[in-house]
Amino acid sequence: MSSTRKAALLCAMLLVPGVLWSHAQKDPPKGDAAKASQSGPPAANDKDKEPFPQVPRITAEEVQRVVKDKGNVVLVDTDDSESYASEHIKGAVNIAYDPTTDLREQDPSLSGLPGDKLVVFYCNCAHEEDSAPLVLEMWELGYDHDKVKALRGGLTRWEQLGYPLAGTEVDATREKGN
Amino acid sequence: MQCKIPAIGIASSNIVHYATGYNFKYNNGMPIRYVSVPFPFTGQPRSVDVGYVSGKDMLSGRPLMAAVVDALTSPLTMEEKISGAPPDEEVEPRLLPADSEENLRRLFDDKEWTDFNSIILPTEKRVTAMLKGTSRKPDEVIKTINITGGARQLTVEKVAINAVMAGASPEHLPVILALATQAPFGNSTSSMANMVVISGPIRDKLKFNCGTNAMGPYNRSNAVVGRAFTLMSKTAGDLRNNVNAWETLGNTMQYNNICYGENEEALPDGWDPLHVEMGFKPTDNVLSVGMGWSSIASVGASQVIYPTHFLMRDYMSSFCASGSAATIVIDPTVAGLLKDVHGFKTKAQLSEWFSQNVTKMNASYWGNGVIQSTAVPFALQGLEPYASWRKLPDDALIKPFTNPKAIHVVVAGGKVQTMWFVTDFGIRRGVLIDDWA
Repeated sequence: MSSTRKAALLCAMLLVPGVLWSHAQKDPPKGDAAKASQSGPPAANDKDKEPFPQVPRITAEEVQRVVKDKGNVVLVDTDDSESYASEHIKGAVNIAYDPTTDLREQDPSLSGLPGDKLVVFYCNCAHEEDSAPLVLEMWELGYDHDKVKALRGGLTRWEQLGYPLAGTEVDATREKGN
Repeated sequence: MQCKIPAIGIASSNIVHYATGYNFKYNNGMPIRYVSVPFPFTGQPRSVDVGYVSGKDMLSGRPLMAAVVDALTSPLTMEEKISGAPPDEEVEPRLLPADSEENLRRLFDDKEWTDFNSIILPTEKRVTAMLKGTSRKPDEVIKTINITGGARQLTVEKVAINAVMAGASPEHLPVILALATQAPFGNSTSSMANMVVISGPIRDKLKFNCGTNAMGPYNRSNAVVGRAFTLMSKTAGDLRNNVNAWETLGNTMQYNNICYGENEEALPDGWDPLHVEMGFKPTDNVLSVGMGWSSIASVGASQVIYPTHFLMRDYMSSFCASGSAATIVIDPTVAGLLKDVHGFKTKAQLSEWFSQNVTKMNASYWGNGVIQSTAVPFALQGLEPYASWRKLPDDALIKPFTNPKAIHVVVAGGKVQTMWFVTDFGIRRGVLIDDWA
């Protein structure tokens, strides 16, 4: 390379945007920020506001009615596997939601859910913040918007209404009662 | 949750250094102790796995179980008592210091910021010019990508840098920004690959190839957009070989990610373009990303004695059918045959036919690793049809593509031959390119 050409190149390189994927900008916190970036609108800071308002909710009463009518519904518990094993809505399957990982890692499991039934995600959380993101991901996978919903009030509401539960903790309580 | 029970991690040798590295170490509240065993575990004879346990810890070189006991019982070191904010990691500057082109190329290669083909070095001037291709602000965060032990923000400027590196022009930037919403691309421990389908009038405007050699190295827009996905995925997704990218064989499709346009003009009457099937308007410009593992190209022309969709069905039976996913790319001549000779009036009818007619031996279905990790838990938890399939004999035939909506049909090619290409790629909902102009 001639010295003239090298000099020109050096000038150009002075402004090479470097890497850019580094931690030059401090990593954002995990949790809500990460969730928001993956799944559209951020989770609300205001507790009165419902996070992920675009996600349709279904009440526990409605779900119970569909279950009783032997309707086509699949319930999905989004807590971790230990919590699921301990207590879950009777008949529910488990797909754990982890806000610190790429939601698409759950795609092989999510896409195994039926496309011709109502799929209801629920969490053990106040405002569906750990179930609504999975509803959004189901939409990304092409599931019909009206066939995938989040259970309003989650497991807590289901328990309050005394609807059927299953799991090791439930079994233990039942044994004590007996 | 604090259980006050001593615990350690056991990691395979290919990932343990990542687990003990900065990000992972300081994102768990405190450094976690690890011991390490060889890899892989799955599919190995029991004797091999037993040998791992009776062998040596790959980190310390000591007998594995002795290392486990030591890790569980020895007092915490000073480093392990660190609490509060971890020490700052060494950061890269936004701008690199001036250097020769040769040295900078070497630096990019050494850092694995490239696909090891030549890149256009992203000078500030070039990146500024690239950013003229969008109205979005350079510091706008497109998404935050969670990586092992941390997260990274993917900004418009960072995408523009990758676009420059890939050889794109400013007019490609809206497409690449839309593609950035899907970064990083699918990657696993096996040979995962990806597909980028361009739909709408932008195919003509940017001259994407939808015809002859649509999926080959014969077109600039197909080439630079597909390559940009790789570069974004590697840099933003922190994919580095044997650091946190562990595809045993890898996949040469990851160089370009099968980027092509649908030949919408050659669709038979009644067959909608991919994006229209997803609910977009025909005039919308959309890109759709698929990912999967397996693909089979047809060999030779279609034959009258055995209908084309029968042969596609036979090939599809070798796919794992995870999530019922399949994407079938067919030449317009085949699309014409399927419609005019075999009566499939829409793509959806063809998808439905595959869902009803692709069969697979039960043992073969359950013998797949992805199915083991996804469908087995469902079966054990009672979800149908998996629970019933688990009870069937090995040689029973099942219909594993239960969801026809997950079977996509895309028409591309130059009508040179009655060819097709079947894959197990699952296509996600499309992204509107126009939003990123």
